[in-house]
Amino acid sequence: MHDTELVPYKVEAREDTGLYNAKFGLWLFLASEIMLFGSLFSAYILLRVGSFSWPQQSDYLNVPIGALNSVILLSSSIFFIRAWVALKADDLAKYKRLMWWVISLAGLFLFFKGIEYYQHFSRQEYPKTSVFLALYFLLTGLHALHILAGIGINIYYAGPGTRLRTINKQWFINRLEVAGLYWHFVDIIWIFLFSILYLL
Amino acid sequence: MEQRSEFKRDIAIYLGIICLTALIVTINHLRLKSLGMVLILTIASCEALIVGYYFMHLMTKKKTIHLILFLTFVVFLSLLFLPAWDIANSPRTPSEFTTY
Repeated sequence: MHDTELVPYKVEAREDTGLYNAKFGLWLFLASEIMLFGSLFSAYILLRVGSFSWPQQSDYLNVPIGALNSVILLSSSIFFIRAWVALKADDLAKYKRLMWWVISLAGLFLFFKGIEYYQHFSRQEYPKTSVFLALYFLLTGLHALHILAGIGINIYYAGPGTRLRTINKQWFINRLEVAGLYWHFVDIIWIFLFSILYLL
Repeated sequence: MEQRSEFKRDIAIYLGIICLTALIVTINHLRLKSLGMVLILTIASCEALIVGYYFMHLMTKKKTIHLILFLTFVVFLSLLFLPAWDIANSPRTPSEFTTY
Protein backbone atom coordinates (compact mmCIF):
# COMPACT_ATOMS: atom_id res chain seq x y z
CA MET A 1 0.00 0.00 0.00
CA HIS A 2 1.53 3.32 -1.03
CA ASP A 3 1.51 6.21 1.41
CA THR A 4 -0.93 8.18 -0.76
CA GLU A 5 -3.47 5.77 0.67
CA LEU A 6 -2.15 6.07 4.25
CA VAL A 7 -1.75 9.84 4.46
CA PRO A 8 -5.10 11.63 4.16
CA TYR A 9 -5.70 14.67 1.95
CA LYS A 10 -2.64 14.07 -0.20
CA VAL A 11 -4.89 14.06 -3.26
CA GLU A 12 -8.39 14.94 -2.12
CA ALA A 13 -9.16 18.28 -0.45
CA ARG A 14 -9.88 18.63 3.26
CA GLU A 15 -13.48 19.45 4.02
CA ASP A 16 -12.70 22.43 6.29
CA THR A 17 -10.02 24.20 4.23
CA GLY A 18 -11.02 22.99 0.76
CA LEU A 19 -7.32 22.40 0.02
CA TYR A 20 -5.14 19.33 -0.21
CA ASN A 21 -2.02 19.19 2.00
CA ALA A 22 0.59 20.42 -0.47
CA LYS A 23 -1.48 23.40 -1.59
CA PHE A 24 -2.18 24.48 1.98
CA GLY A 25 1.49 24.08 2.87
CA LEU A 26 2.65 26.03 -0.15
CA TRP A 27 0.33 28.96 0.53
CA LEU A 28 1.77 29.14 4.06
CA PHE A 29 5.25 29.08 2.52
CA LEU A 30 4.27 31.87 0.09
CA ALA A 31 3.03 33.89 3.07
CA SER A 32 6.52 33.63 4.57
CA GLU A 33 8.02 34.62 1.21
CA ILE A 34 5.76 37.68 1.13
CA MET A 35 7.17 38.62 4.54
CA LEU A 36 10.73 38.05 3.28
CA PHE A 37 10.44 40.20 0.17
CA GLY A 38 8.06 42.58 1.90
CA SER A 39 10.62 43.35 4.59
CA LEU A 40 13.23 44.09 1.90
CA PHE A 41 10.84 46.29 -0.05
CA SER A 42 9.97 48.17 3.14
CA ALA A 43 13.70 48.64 3.84
CA TYR A 44 13.98 50.14 0.36
CA ILE A 45 11.04 52.48 1.00
CA LEU A 46 12.35 53.69 4.35
CA LEU A 47 15.91 54.15 3.11
CA ARG A 48 14.76 56.05 0.02
CA VAL A 49 12.30 58.27 1.88
CA GLY A 50 14.85 59.01 4.59
CA SER A 51 17.78 59.83 2.34
CA PHE A 52 18.99 63.30 1.40
CA SER A 53 19.11 62.39 -2.27
CA TRP A 54 18.39 59.34 -4.43
CA PRO A 55 19.72 58.60 -7.92
CA GLN A 56 17.56 58.40 -11.01
CA GLN A 57 17.39 54.62 -10.95
CA SER A 58 16.74 54.14 -14.66
CA ASP A 59 20.08 55.90 -15.32
CA TYR A 60 21.89 53.11 -13.45
CA LEU A 61 19.86 50.17 -14.70
CA ASN A 62 19.24 48.69 -18.13
CA VAL A 63 15.48 49.21 -18.57
CA PRO A 64 15.26 47.42 -21.98
CA ILE A 65 16.84 44.27 -20.51
CA GLY A 66 14.60 44.54 -17.46
CA ALA A 67 11.52 44.83 -19.69
CA LEU A 68 12.73 41.90 -21.80
CA ASN A 69 13.19 39.84 -18.64
CA SER A 70 9.62 40.70 -17.64
CA VAL A 71 8.34 39.34 -20.96
CA ILE A 72 10.53 36.23 -20.62
CA LEU A 73 9.31 35.42 -17.12
CA LEU A 74 5.67 36.06 -18.00
CA SER A 75 6.03 33.81 -21.06
CA SER A 76 7.45 31.05 -18.86
CA SER A 77 4.40 31.41 -16.58
CA ILE A 78 2.07 30.95 -19.54
CA PHE A 79 4.00 27.89 -20.71
CA PHE A 80 3.74 26.47 -17.17
CA ILE A 81 -0.03 26.85 -17.20
CA ARG A 82 -0.30 25.16 -20.59
CA ALA A 83 1.99 22.36 -19.36
CA TRP A 84 -0.35 21.80 -16.40
CA VAL A 85 -3.37 21.74 -18.73
CA ALA A 86 -1.57 19.24 -21.00
CA LEU A 87 -0.80 17.05 -17.98
CA LYS A 88 -4.45 17.08 -16.89
CA ALA A 89 -5.38 16.09 -20.46
CA ASP A 90 -2.96 13.12 -20.22
CA ASP A 91 -0.68 14.44 -22.99
CA LEU A 92 2.66 13.61 -21.37
CA ALA A 93 4.80 14.45 -24.42
CA LYS A 94 3.27 17.93 -24.73
CA TYR A 95 3.59 18.43 -20.97
CA LYS A 96 7.33 17.63 -21.03
CA ARG A 97 7.90 19.81 -24.10
CA LEU A 98 6.19 22.79 -22.48
CA MET A 99 8.02 22.28 -19.17
CA TRP A 100 11.35 22.39 -20.99
CA TRP A 101 10.23 25.68 -22.52
CA VAL A 102 9.59 26.96 -18.98
CA ILE A 103 13.07 25.86 -17.90
CA SER A 104 14.72 27.34 -21.01
CA LEU A 105 13.01 30.70 -20.55
CA ALA A 106 14.02 30.76 -16.89
CA GLY A 107 17.60 30.07 -17.94
CA LEU A 108 17.37 32.91 -20.46
CA PHE A 109 16.16 35.22 -17.69
CA LEU A 110 19.21 34.35 -15.60
CA PHE A 111 21.44 34.82 -18.65
CA PHE A 112 20.22 38.39 -19.19
CA LYS A 113 20.45 39.05 -15.45
CA GLY A 114 24.05 37.89 -15.63
CA ILE A 115 24.68 40.30 -18.50
CA GLU A 116 23.27 43.15 -16.40
CA TYR A 117 25.47 42.24 -13.44
CA TYR A 118 28.49 42.06 -15.74
CA GLN A 119 27.66 45.55 -17.07
CA HIS A 120 27.49 46.88 -13.51
CA PHE A 121 30.77 45.29 -12.46
CA SER A 122 32.55 46.56 -15.57
CA ARG A 123 31.43 50.09 -14.61
CA GLN A 124 32.78 49.54 -11.06
CA GLU A 125 29.25 49.45 -9.68
CA TYR A 126 29.18 47.09 -6.71
CA PRO A 127 26.85 46.67 -3.72
CA LYS A 128 29.28 48.71 -1.61
CA THR A 129 29.14 51.63 -4.08
CA SER A 130 25.85 53.07 -2.82
CA VAL A 131 22.74 52.27 -0.77
CA PHE A 132 20.65 51.99 -3.93
CA LEU A 133 23.02 49.53 -5.56
CA ALA A 134 23.23 47.51 -2.34
CA LEU A 135 19.44 47.19 -2.34
CA TYR A 136 19.38 46.45 -6.07
CA PHE A 137 21.90 43.61 -5.83
CA LEU A 138 20.26 42.21 -2.68
CA LEU A 139 16.73 42.19 -4.11
CA THR A 140 17.59 40.97 -7.60
CA GLY A 141 20.15 38.49 -6.28
CA LEU A 142 17.62 36.96 -3.89
CA HIS A 143 15.07 36.81 -6.69
CA ALA A 144 17.62 35.15 -9.00
CA LEU A 145 18.24 32.49 -6.33
CA HIS A 146 14.51 31.83 -6.24
CA ILE A 147 14.51 31.44 -10.04
CA LEU A 148 17.42 29.00 -9.75
CA ALA A 149 15.55 26.96 -7.14
CA GLY A 150 12.48 26.98 -9.39
CA ILE A 151 14.57 25.74 -12.32
CA GLY A 152 15.76 22.82 -10.18
CA ILE A 153 12.20 21.93 -9.17
CA ASN A 154 10.94 22.21 -12.75
CA ILE A 155 13.78 20.05 -14.11
CA TYR A 156 12.83 17.38 -11.58
CA TYR A 157 9.14 17.49 -12.54
CA ALA A 158 9.95 17.55 -16.26
CA GLY A 159 12.39 14.69 -15.94
CA PRO A 160 12.72 12.01 -13.25
CA GLY A 161 9.72 13.27 -11.28
CA THR A 162 7.28 12.15 -13.97
CA ARG A 163 7.49 8.59 -12.66
CA LEU A 164 5.33 9.82 -9.76
CA ARG A 165 2.52 9.93 -12.30
CA THR A 166 2.60 6.14 -12.52
CA ILE A 167 1.99 5.91 -8.75
CA ASN A 168 -0.94 8.32 -8.59
CA LYS A 169 -1.87 10.56 -11.53
CA GLN A 170 -3.87 13.14 -9.55
CA TRP A 171 -1.13 13.36 -6.92
CA PHE A 172 1.39 14.31 -9.61
CA ILE A 173 -1.01 16.85 -11.15
CA ASN A 174 -1.44 18.40 -7.70
CA ARG A 175 2.32 18.58 -7.21
CA LEU A 176 2.70 20.38 -10.51
CA GLU A 177 -0.07 22.81 -9.59
CA VAL A 178 1.80 23.60 -6.39
CA ALA A 179 5.08 24.08 -8.28
CA GLY A 180 3.19 26.40 -10.61
CA LEU A 181 1.96 28.49 -7.69
CA TYR A 182 5.57 29.00 -6.62
CA TRP A 183 6.57 29.92 -10.18
CA HIS A 184 3.79 32.49 -10.58
CA PHE A 185 4.70 33.98 -7.21
CA VAL A 186 8.30 34.46 -8.40
CA ASP A 187 6.84 36.16 -11.49
CA ILE A 188 4.79 38.53 -9.30
CA ILE A 189 7.89 39.43 -7.28
CA TRP A 190 9.70 40.32 -10.51
CA ILE A 191 6.79 42.55 -11.60
CA PHE A 192 7.28 44.61 -8.44
CA LEU A 193 11.08 44.46 -8.63
CA PHE A 194 11.10 45.76 -12.19
CA SER A 195 8.62 48.53 -11.42
CA ILE A 196 10.25 49.68 -8.18
CA LEU A 197 13.95 49.32 -9.02
CA TYR A 198 13.99 50.10 -12.74
CA LEU A 199 11.13 52.54 -13.26
CA LEU A 200 10.64 54.63 -10.11
CA MET B 1 -13.99 23.22 -26.62
CA GLU B 2 -13.40 24.27 -23.00
CA GLN B 3 -9.63 23.89 -23.54
CA ARG B 4 -9.73 26.24 -26.56
CA SER B 5 -11.61 28.91 -24.62
CA GLU B 6 -9.18 28.53 -21.69
CA PHE B 7 -6.25 28.81 -24.11
CA LYS B 8 -7.69 31.97 -25.66
CA ARG B 9 -8.27 33.41 -22.20
CA ASP B 10 -4.68 32.67 -21.13
CA ILE B 11 -3.28 34.29 -24.28
CA ALA B 12 -5.52 37.34 -23.81
CA ILE B 13 -4.32 37.73 -20.22
CA TYR B 14 -0.70 37.29 -21.32
CA LEU B 15 -1.01 39.97 -24.00
CA GLY B 16 -2.83 42.24 -21.55
CA ILE B 17 -0.01 42.04 -19.03
CA ILE B 18 2.58 42.64 -21.77
CA CYS B 19 0.66 45.79 -22.77
CA LEU B 20 0.56 46.95 -19.15
CA THR B 21 4.33 46.40 -18.89
CA ALA B 22 4.84 48.48 -22.05
CA LEU B 23 2.61 51.15 -20.52
CA ILE B 24 4.65 51.46 -17.33
CA VAL B 25 7.89 51.63 -19.34
CA THR B 26 6.33 54.46 -21.37
CA ILE B 27 5.25 56.26 -18.19
CA ASN B 28 8.82 55.95 -16.92
CA HIS B 29 10.11 57.66 -20.08
CA LEU B 30 7.71 60.57 -19.54
CA ARG B 31 9.40 61.40 -16.19
CA LEU B 32 6.14 62.40 -14.49
CA LYS B 33 7.74 62.35 -10.97
CA SER B 34 5.13 61.72 -8.20
CA LEU B 35 2.25 61.11 -10.61
CA GLY B 36 4.42 58.69 -12.60
CA MET B 37 5.37 56.87 -9.38
CA VAL B 38 1.72 56.43 -8.38
CA LEU B 39 0.71 55.30 -11.87
CA ILE B 40 3.57 52.80 -12.18
CA LEU B 41 2.87 51.26 -8.76
CA THR B 42 -0.87 51.09 -9.44
CA ILE B 43 -0.40 49.41 -12.82
CA ALA B 44 2.21 47.01 -11.39
CA SER B 45 -0.24 46.09 -8.62
CA CYS B 46 -2.92 45.45 -11.25
CA GLU B 47 -0.53 43.18 -13.14
CA ALA B 48 0.24 41.27 -9.93
CA LEU B 49 -3.47 40.96 -9.14
CA ILE B 50 -4.19 39.61 -12.62
CA VAL B 51 -1.41 37.01 -12.30
CA GLY B 52 -2.63 36.06 -8.83
CA TYR B 53 -6.31 35.96 -9.78
CA TYR B 54 -6.03 33.93 -12.99
CA PHE B 55 -2.71 32.06 -12.88
CA MET B 56 -2.64 31.30 -9.15
CA HIS B 57 -6.37 30.50 -9.09
CA LEU B 58 -7.24 33.04 -6.43
CA MET B 59 -10.55 33.35 -8.25
CA THR B 60 -11.54 29.92 -6.90
CA LYS B 61 -12.72 31.68 -3.73
CA LYS B 62 -10.99 29.36 -1.27
CA LYS B 63 -11.51 31.18 2.02
CA THR B 64 -8.44 29.57 3.60
CA ILE B 65 -6.12 31.05 0.96
CA HIS B 66 -7.76 34.47 1.20
CA LEU B 67 -7.46 34.37 4.99
CA ILE B 68 -3.75 33.46 4.84
CA LEU B 69 -3.09 36.29 2.38
CA PHE B 70 -5.19 38.80 4.32
CA LEU B 71 -3.37 38.06 7.59
CA THR B 72 0.00 38.22 5.82
CA PHE B 73 -0.73 41.65 4.38
CA VAL B 74 -2.06 42.98 7.68
CA VAL B 75 1.15 41.89 9.44
CA PHE B 76 3.31 43.18 6.58
CA LEU B 77 1.63 46.61 6.50
CA SER B 78 1.91 46.87 10.30
CA LEU B 79 5.62 46.10 10.14
CA LEU B 80 6.04 48.58 7.28
CA PHE B 81 4.30 51.48 9.00
CA LEU B 82 5.56 50.83 12.54
CA PRO B 83 9.14 52.03 11.87
CA ALA B 84 7.77 54.85 9.71
CA TRP B 85 5.55 55.96 12.59
CA ASP B 86 8.47 55.63 15.00
CA ILE B 87 10.69 57.76 12.76
CA ALA B 88 7.95 60.36 12.31
CA ASN B 89 7.46 60.66 16.09
CA SER B 90 11.16 60.76 16.89
CA PRO B 91 12.82 64.09 17.87
CA ARG B 92 15.47 63.42 15.19
CA THR B 93 14.70 64.33 11.56
CA PRO B 94 14.16 61.42 9.13
CA SER B 95 17.34 62.17 7.18
CA GLU B 96 19.39 61.72 10.35
CA PHE B 97 18.42 58.04 10.36
CA THR B 98 19.95 57.25 7.00
CA THR B 99 22.86 58.32 4.91
CA TYR B 100 23.20 57.75 1.19
